[in-house]
Amino acid sequence: MEFKHKKLANGLNIVAEVNKDAQSAAVGFFAKTGPRDETDEINGVSHFLEHMLFKGTDKLSAHDVNRTFDDLGAFYNAETGDETTIYYAATLPKQLEEVAKLWCQLMRPALRNDDFIIEKNVILEEIAMYQDLPDYDVHEICKALHFSDHPCGKIALGTVESIKALTSSQMREYFESRYAPNNITVVITGNFEFEKICACIESLCGSWKPKQAGRKTEYFAGTAKREHQKRKNLNCLHIGLMNPTVSYQDERAYAATLLAKIIGDSTGSRFFWELVDTAIAETASMHCEAMDGVGVFYSSIRADRKNGSKVMQIVEKIFKSLQKEKISADELQKAKNKVLSAITIKNEIPMGRLLELGVNWVYLGQYRPIEDEIQRVKNVTLADIQNLIEQFPLANFTQFSIGPE
Amino acid sequence: MPEKTDIYKLANGMTIIGVPVAGVQSAAFEFLIPTGAAMTPDGCCGAPAIIEDWIFRGAGTKTSRGLSDMLDGLGLHRGSGVESKHINLSAALQADNLPKAIELYADIILKPALKPEQFEYSRQLALQGLLGLEDDPRHKTMLLLREHFYPDPLGRNTAGKQQDLQNLTAEKTGQIFAENFDIGQTIFAVAGKYDFQKLCSLTEKLFAGEKPKKAKDINAKEQPLGYHHHPHEGSQVHIGIMTGAVTPHDNDYYNARVAVAILSGGMSSRLFTEVREKRGLCYAVGAGYHSLKEMAGIGSYAGTTPDKAQETYDVIIAEFKRLADDISESELQRAKIGLQSALVMQSESTMARAGAAATDYYMLGKVRSLEEIKQNIEKTSVKSIVDFLKNNPFEKFCSVTIGPMEIKPV
Repeated sequence: MEFKHKKLANGLNIVAEVNKDAQSAAVGFFAKTGPRDETDEINGVSHFLEHMLFKGTDKLSAHDVNRTFDDLGAFYNAETGDETTIYYAATLPKQLEEVAKLWCQLMRPALRNDDFIIEKNVILEEIAMYQDLPDYDVHEICKALHFSDHPCGKIALGTVESIKALTSSQMREYFESRYAPNNITVVITGNFEFEKICACIESLCGSWKPKQAGRKTEYFAGTAKREHQKRKNLNCLHIGLMNPTVSYQDERAYAATLLAKIIGDSTGSRFFWELVDTAIAETASMHCEAMDGVGVFYSSIRADRKNGSKVMQIVEKIFKSLQKEKISADELQKAKNKVLSAITIKNEIPMGRLLELGVNWVYLGQYRPIEDEIQRVKNVTLADIQNLIEQFPLANFTQFSIGPE
Repeated sequence: MPEKTDIYKLANGMTIIGVPVAGVQSAAFEFLIPTGAAMTPDGCCGAPAIIEDWIFRGAGTKTSRGLSDMLDGLGLHRGSGVESKHINLSAALQADNLPKAIELYADIILKPALKPEQFEYSRQLALQGLLGLEDDPRHKTMLLLREHFYPDPLGRNTAGKQQDLQNLTAEKTGQIFAENFDIGQTIFAVAGKYDFQKLCSLTEKLFAGEKPKKAKDINAKEQPLGYHHHPHEGSQVHIGIMTGAVTPHDNDYYNARVAVAILSGGMSSRLFTEVREKRGLCYAVGAGYHSLKEMAGIGSYAGTTPDKAQETYDVIIAEFKRLADDISESELQRAKIGLQSALVMQSESTMARAGAAATDYYMLGKVRSLEEIKQNIEKTSVKSIVDFLKNNPFEKFCSVTIGPMEIKPV
């Protein structure tokens, strides 16, 4: 694997890792923008805009875009996270240049009003779809409850009201302020010629004008509020819990990832033995969401409603006991083994490597080789984990749940 | 690099398949064990869902906790699932740990503890899984669609039935395990970094002592395709539509696969264009090929709000019916490139390769090389696809909706 980096004069970063043994190649545009950069008035615009980029440019219609990607045999899509919007495509090496060219053009979309009106329906359907996926819905509402007025409390898709009220000119304004070249990173992985692709990206993106596109990154420990909603169409209890933890930029993020595995991995964790092995809950998991300047642990539990109070008693017992019943060396080692093998498996595929590389660059502005990632996981000690538990007591959490009437 | 898939059979019938993947440090494996949802006696639906969990609750000399600790100690990413004919057990891990993992899985498959006190937990989890499905109407739509489309018991809901799960005992479920967990018909596929000779020696040592069982016949009963609505006070109407297709044995298999790609391959395909891009009716719409050994179908899903449900359904049916019309050469080429390119990209994942090899062997009695699949896709033409569609027109549909309102089916 060979790392490559070039920064264009307008601030656009191109980072790449070349693997001549790979069967495929992947390219992604990471825009450092998402719901946390929105106001309440335009909530949902980041995600809606992500859809609109596929609607083409002044020279390409939506169907031209879809047809060209399909002609190239690309596996392509986009994702709007809370604070990064990622556009990506994996393809056979010989097609990568054409795929990259297409993405470069799409990053300067036409945002036609006719397309905007049709796509608004699709967004409203997507909102309705997630309302029928209670675990997703709980995560979004729990996040809003935990972060309250902090920018990270925004609902990713927006609300029915905010989407209905959104105008295409508001979207254009948001686009102009956030999609500046200095706020975008192009990431390329797999089997390709760096200089050739780079020249092609530079010829298409080199004229973009830089613009200030900052973000406030205040730390926030969360509201620790607890709410429950009854819904008549539900059969199970769906619980979401959010605890504050370290940000992505904090070196302790590795310890936080391991602690989440120890407490809430799908097998062999404390949640697993106390809740799932005993059939008190159907599923119980925890993961670390380390973000820009803030971070949370998110726990998701689904159970028969008759077990609701028992589930919460056990969760509170697990959280409180962490300070007394310390994490064992064996628990830490098992968590490390799981994380290390996940790193190996994920990074064997150019598409998997693309996400790692891009996220590291966007959050840290640095390249971390796989060996470096592995070493950082290995370096975490029991003392690191214990310090984290003491600094962020898990008993202090926000809770949102929904269940049957 | 030319591929070299190795296949070795033990004297008891168990099949070992090795698929090397260049340049990787991981290995992945999958066991296909003939204890699927269709194999259980009437009144015992859901037994495989219980068994899938129960076998991990202690095996050989290891307790449930001891076994779990050892699997986690290897950094294993495990998966398991119930299919129509099989329980699949899969895992991916760093290649160095592969022999130790296979030894643990031999205990899980051959010597599970199956303790009655652990049975109750497994049963409760299966019951909660079934309850959880009620809160996931999209997933439930597709399970119901297969149940109504395929002759019974081939399409049975793999999560089981509530009454049957409540009636099952440890004794009865243990008996179903003993009768069905047949090593003689088990397929074991490994992909990634491994040594095939060592793999065979180890598998021989661990599994060769197990006697094969008598293969079971299933008498599947045809059922009329129709429309089935399940009321649900959700935000959307979840629509499932399934119609017949040829199985992988059939000479027209590749014509069918390319036809489905024209209908719903990439975002320029017909369903996505007509339903989402032109009309904005849905966020999620698509169709895919699904096959059992005996029978296959093309299943479509769309989720939409009630006021758009009928139009969505009508547009999807219309697209099925006009699939043979006006297929252009460029449309065909896009479908082919999409399928071939997906094939190469999936081939980089050791987990996907192991799963595909095991399924291929079960379906066809051989493992197709990537080159063979690519060439067969390449051989299809507008004429061959149109001929196939004219000879096998989509006339009968099985439709399922879950949501606040019914639609009027064809």
